[in-house]
Amino acid sequence: MGTIIEASATATATAHQRSLTPGALQLADAAARSCLERAERTAEELDLLINAGVFHDRILSEPALASLIQEDIGANLDRPAVAGRGTFSFDVSNGACGLLTGISLVDGMLASGTVELGMVVASDMDPQPGVSEGFSFPGVGGAVLLSADDSRAGFTAFQFATFPELAGQFYSYVDWHDDAERGLAGGGQNTITVEITESYATRALECAESTARELAGAQALDLGEVDLLVATASVPGFGEALATRLGIPGERVASLPDGLDGAHTAAPAVALESVQLAEASTALFVSAGAGITVAVALYRA
Amino acid sequence: MEKSASADGREHWMALEGGTDGSLGRAPYTSRFVGIGASIPERRQSSDELMASTKYRTDIDLERLTGVRERRIAGEGEDSYTLALGAARDALASADCAAEDLDVLIMSSISHYVGGLRWQLDPPVSVLLKEALGARRAMSFDISNACAGMMTGVFILNDMIRQGRIRRGMVVSGEYISQLGVNAALEVRTMMDDQLASLTVGDAGAAAILERAPDGAPGLEVAGFTTLAEHSRLCLAFPARVGRGAAMYSDARALQEVGIEDTVPMLRETLDQAGLRFDEIDYFIPHQTSARAIKKGVKEFSEILGGAPKHVVVTVDEFGNTSSTTHFLALWKYLSEGRFVKDDRVLLLSIASGLEVGIVIFKVDGLVGRHGHDH
Repeated sequence: MGTIIEASATATATAHQRSLTPGALQLADAAARSCLERAERTAEELDLLINAGVFHDRILSEPALASLIQEDIGANLDRPAVAGRGTFSFDVSNGACGLLTGISLVDGMLASGTVELGMVVASDMDPQPGVSEGFSFPGVGGAVLLSADDSRAGFTAFQFATFPELAGQFYSYVDWHDDAERGLAGGGQNTITVEITESYATRALECAESTARELAGAQALDLGEVDLLVATASVPGFGEALATRLGIPGERVASLPDGLDGAHTAAPAVALESVQLAEASTALFVSAGAGITVAVALYRA
Repeated sequence: MEKSASADGREHWMALEGGTDGSLGRAPYTSRFVGIGASIPERRQSSDELMASTKYRTDIDLERLTGVRERRIAGEGEDSYTLALGAARDALASADCAAEDLDVLIMSSISHYVGGLRWQLDPPVSVLLKEALGARRAMSFDISNACAGMMTGVFILNDMIRQGRIRRGMVVSGEYISQLGVNAALEVRTMMDDQLASLTVGDAGAAAILERAPDGAPGLEVAGFTTLAEHSRLCLAFPARVGRGAAMYSDARALQEVGIEDTVPMLRETLDQAGLRFDEIDYFIPHQTSARAIKKGVKEFSEILGGAPKHVVVTVDEFGNTSSTTHFLALWKYLSEGRFVKDDRVLLLSIASGLEVGIVIFKVDGLVGRHGHDH
């Protein structure tokens, strides 16, 4: 029995600009609804909902954004006196590796029979337009719907690695900035800052390559067998560059469209929009992000 | 499409694992707690001292209202990261376990302050902890689930261990949240203020190590979680407008009411699954919001479920509400004070913003003798 991707979907700020001001929550909601529609599932069927986005509206820290998404999409809101099964929601934060981390957690709970249908949602949007510093990620949300299938292998292996000596390559934080310009005594505001070094993309590639090769070695995987590479690291061109390093032909890379090629936590879902996963016999998912952290997953049809 | 019954053929509202016959979750193994750690700041702040700092005259008797006599306040050089690191090291020591033996490391606090009141978003704080501890092999990530963060981490680790995916994992939290009180003190005017709950919080770190139990040894009997999202917006926290750190706005009264009412069927579900009555619980450790809320909750739970647990653990009087760490701080305190015997059965109940309801039932067993004067 394997964990399979039933459907994936995305929602972009550009596509939703007619609706008020689409923030990270609205993008997550839209991606989640679209994903359920594609799979012809209802929100009530969801047992597990994990949000893996990092840049939330208002930089919300409580509750988990996943619980707000759950309420917005209407997944089992009734009081528990009503018969049936509920939904369990929480957030995972693992930078650009969050979506794959969430998928690995759903995979575990599907295998144990604790849940039967799980969704991982991720979205990011600048919470402080005009105020934040260094924020360059496009506003996009993504969702991946997962279930167990007796007849298919699905996700067969996960590999995670961290390279803490490179922690300074990608750094984001919220800190108080005194408002000296307006001359307000004691005035200021908590401001979000994103700092990505020029060498981050290269370092992320090195870390991703070594982790992918480690998984290939452990799983006796010939990288030449990989007919779909879904590789993202919040910077443009990462998938193509990693394919070259791994000896995977460029046409097997799930590419991200212009304008979304620097997508942050939703990037793997964005990449899946350009391919037919069902047609791939061996797909390799690779995410790299701050830490530097790398997540690699092997998906077999 | 109707949701079908789960693999064990029964309907459960909660995501549940465990049970009297081990049927839930098709698990070949049992997990158990093997080490509990804590890190508590030295500095104490009384409720009177905090209320004397409010900008407006409030006439709120916070201690009488909430039962919070004092809380700990992080000192110079202490933050979410250092509190978590201290607790993690303490847990490793109590478990006689090396960091290299950890397969998974989960950071689970709401607050992510590293280097004072700088809130770190990327990289995850777990990466820093993994490096500082030397947990070389561990898969690491952060989770966030309001005050249910550590309990959520326990639920995740329990699932992984029961399936044999890992042998040992740690969930850790460092809550540097006293700034909520500092910011609330600038704005609170009346007892009905939506920032009143911010005045009850305190700082602390806690950690728990779970591992695969030897065959036949006791461990976690049932773990369950659910999110009652129709109440998801009853408590919200984000960076403050008035100063450094965060601010939290909650409808504490509504949270308490729905928290108690909606938790009853969850308690019934988990107790049934464990084959237990409520009065067979030796120590009941609820989330620590206020002494009054705990008393009210236990009274209602006991009336409806029939019978009361033998002991109800209250630490909110001396530590305040330490958010995601409360259950494990309480557990650590009772272990350190030698209050448990091996056969004691503990029920941890998390009721948190979301609205999250999480329950874990386990036997103390080998944790006795690993802490404080016994260790």
